[in-house]
Order: sequence, then structure tokens, then C-alpha cells
Amino acid sequence: MRLPPFRLEEPQSVPEAIEVLARPDGEAGVIAGGTALVPTLRLGLVRPARLVSLHGIPELRSLRVDGQALEVGATVTVATLARHHSTRADWPLLAHAAGCVATPAIRSTATVGGNLCYGEAASDLAPALLCLEAQVRVGDSVGERVVPVTELFKGFYETAVEAGEIATGLRVPAVPREARTGYVRFCPRSAEDKPLIGVAGLLVLDAGRRVSELRLGLGGAAPTPMRARRAEAAATGQELGDAMIRTVAEAAAAEAEPLSDLVGSADYRREMIRVWVRRLLVTLRDGRAIA
Amino acid sequence: MTLDFTLNGRPCRTEAPDHWTLLDLLRDGLALHGTKYGCGEGACGTCTVLLDGEPVRACLVLAAHVRARVLTTVEGLGQDGEADRLQAAFLHAGAAQCGFCTPGMLLVARALLASDPTPTEHRVREALAGNLCRCTGYTKIVKAVLAASAAR
Repeated sequence: MRLPPFRLEEPQSVPEAIEVLARPDGEAGVIAGGTALVPTLRLGLVRPARLVSLHGIPELRSLRVDGQALEVGATVTVATLARHHSTRADWPLLAHAAGCVATPAIRSTATVGGNLCYGEAASDLAPALLCLEAQVRVGDSVGERVVPVTELFKGFYETAVEAGEIATGLRVPAVPREARTGYVRFCPRSAEDKPLIGVAGLLVLDAGRRVSELRLGLGGAAPTPMRARRAEAAATGQELGDAMIRTVAEAAAAEAEPLSDLVGSADYRREMIRVWVRRLLVTLRDGRAIA
Repeated sequence: MTLDFTLNGRPCRTEAPDHWTLLDLLRDGLALHGTKYGCGEGACGTCTVLLDGEPVRACLVLAAHVRARVLTTVEGLGQDGEADRLQAAFLHAGAAQCGFCTPGMLLVARALLASDPTPTEHRVREALAGNLCRCTGYTKIVKAVLAASAAR
């Protein structure tokens, strides 16, 4: 089945892309890998007159370490992020989460910027990036602004990237040396499906084995990816005995606001958040490797 | 728009409308009907082709995005009408029933064997995970891929 017709714009630089996007020449959308947008176009859910492709912009394909941070261009593919030696060595949480996305033939095409800007609640990357407190660079005709990933997701498939703006990349700060990190996901159907829920965690224990910092990123737990702030607060300063871990997991389940869809019901999602937050925390506490 | 790329080892120059996907280009522009249209949303894997050696879904990739890249379709596997080693292994194992998923399976397997010439069965199953077959139950497909690897 053909896509509804559109005009394809192929700028060669970010300033040119922003200029083309702003032309008063019919409504324009932005396309990167297209793995999310193309089915949406095919179903007629969006009908832009023009699509601005980021494909021909070399600077957006750059993945490199800058000082202590990982700089990820918007059109770096999920596959590249998953297998890059720096990601694997120093951001294993991100490499593992990226390797969980869909299937090899989707990861080879889907981009990191596209994954975030699509705003999918059950994204595998978003919980990891929420935990790592990544920052998204967003450009428009005036200049560039930085949006923390924790403030990126505004509503159901809605992000802080406005019409006329382009997300150009993200900066992932160094993981604290003493932190333990992990990502777990639960798929009730098959592994290549989007998950019912996903849980990313970053745990720092002090010398007395009390929690000095816990960050929990949840996918599929609300209309958007979210941080479980109340659960994090409940854990801080505490020793992570089994009873305390149950309390933290209950808090995460309580603050989740899941939706029902074809993958599973809201009640099931809330229950699985409770179970998988608990399992992840036990694993991180005991220092076992994740996947 | 004009597109220049490498198709099954040969330079290719062709025209395509802006809104065509790679699958439209292959089947309707170039009359290469080996690549199948299945679900149209990237879930079934039967339209899988190799772009710069990596499997991609032809139904999700815009035709414009193949510019200057190296594309391999199922038509590019055999030579002079002869099945290549992987295709021969599929024939020998009876890994095709209706055949609709076979082109996608072959290309995913080709990419796997290029990056890992002696994969474990688990690796084979992981690589094939995005390609659905509603006939064979996968066992013969996995056997065929393993046979092609061991035969190297």
C-alpha cells in the first residue's frame, strides 16, 4: 500500500533543515529513520504536505565521547548506539536498553532522536535516558536550547519539541563510578514486541550500604515515560532489605498512571511495575549483572 | 527524484516519486518481485533487504534513503540462476513451505553469517526473531542456517 503523496525535502545541514521546515509552503513534518512515522503515514494518521528528511546531514550521525559525556547525534541508529564500544564500556545501561529495542532490522534503521521525539510511552531507550539524566539539544531559527529528558515528555505521544524545532542530539553525562545500573522489561507476547513495561535503575549505596541515590525510569507506566520520584524518595537513606524493596516497589506501582492497550491492561501494567521494580532492585542490591 | 545506488553488485540509476518507500521502488519501479509486501508496518519481516550489509525493512525505508548506498535483495544472492550456499541449504532442509517469508529469512541469515560465520543456534534464533513464518515452525529454517554456516 502506497504512502499518501508528500514532497520530500533533503537539507544538507541543520540550519538548512530548520530554514526549510519554517517555509510557509505547506505543513511539514520531520523524518529520520521512519520506522515509527512511515506506518503512521500509511495509516493516514498524519498527512503532512512536506517531509524534511534528516538523512543527508552528516553532523547528526556523529556518536562520540566529549570529556566525560556521550554525545549522540539525533540520527545515530539504535543499532549503532547498542554496539558502540564507548556505550558498551561506560554506559552499559544505555547499550543494553538500545539492544532491547524491537528487532535487528528495526534497530538498523530507527534513530535515537526519532525514538525520543515519537514520545512512545513504552520506549526502551527513554527509561534508561531518564535514569542517566540525558539532555536533548533542540534547535530552531533563533538558536539552540537544551531540554532535560526528564522534561521532554509532555503527554500521550507529545514532547517538548515544538513545531518548527528539530532535536539535533543528546548529551549523556558520565555514570557515577560507584553506581549500579540495569534495565529490565516485560513482554507478555514476544520479545520483539514493544514491552508492556520497562524499568531502568541507577543505584548508589554508601559505605554503610544505605541508599545514597536511587533513580528509577519507567516505560509503559503512564501516558509518557516517567521517573518514579516517590519510590526514589522512599528508598533514599534506607538500607535495602527485602521489606524496604517491597515498599519502594509498592510506591512505584502507586505513582504509575498506566493506560490500557492491546499489549495489556492498566491493572496488569501496575502489577508488573511492582514486580519488576522489586526484581531489578534485588538484582542491583546484590550486585548481580543484568543481561 | 533521481536515485543512484548499488543494486545487487551493479550500479543502478532510477527515478522515483518522493513518497515511495524502498519496497515500492523495488517491486513497482524495478520489477524485482522477490521482496514481498507483508504487513506494511515493519512487524513481519518479509520485505527485509540488506542496506550496506545490514537488514532493513523495505516497507519502512524511504526510497530516497538508499541514495549512494549498497542494496542487496534476494535476487542478488544466487549467481547465473544457481542457488548460493544458503539458498541450497534452505532447499535441502525443506525450509520453505509457502515461500512468502523466505526472501526475508535468507537476507537476515546472510547478514548474520557475514558478521558471525559460525553462530550458535541461539544467535540464529535471535537474528531471525523479527521474521515471521506461519508454515514451518522455524525448526527447518534454523537448521538450514546452521547447515550453511557449518558448510563453510
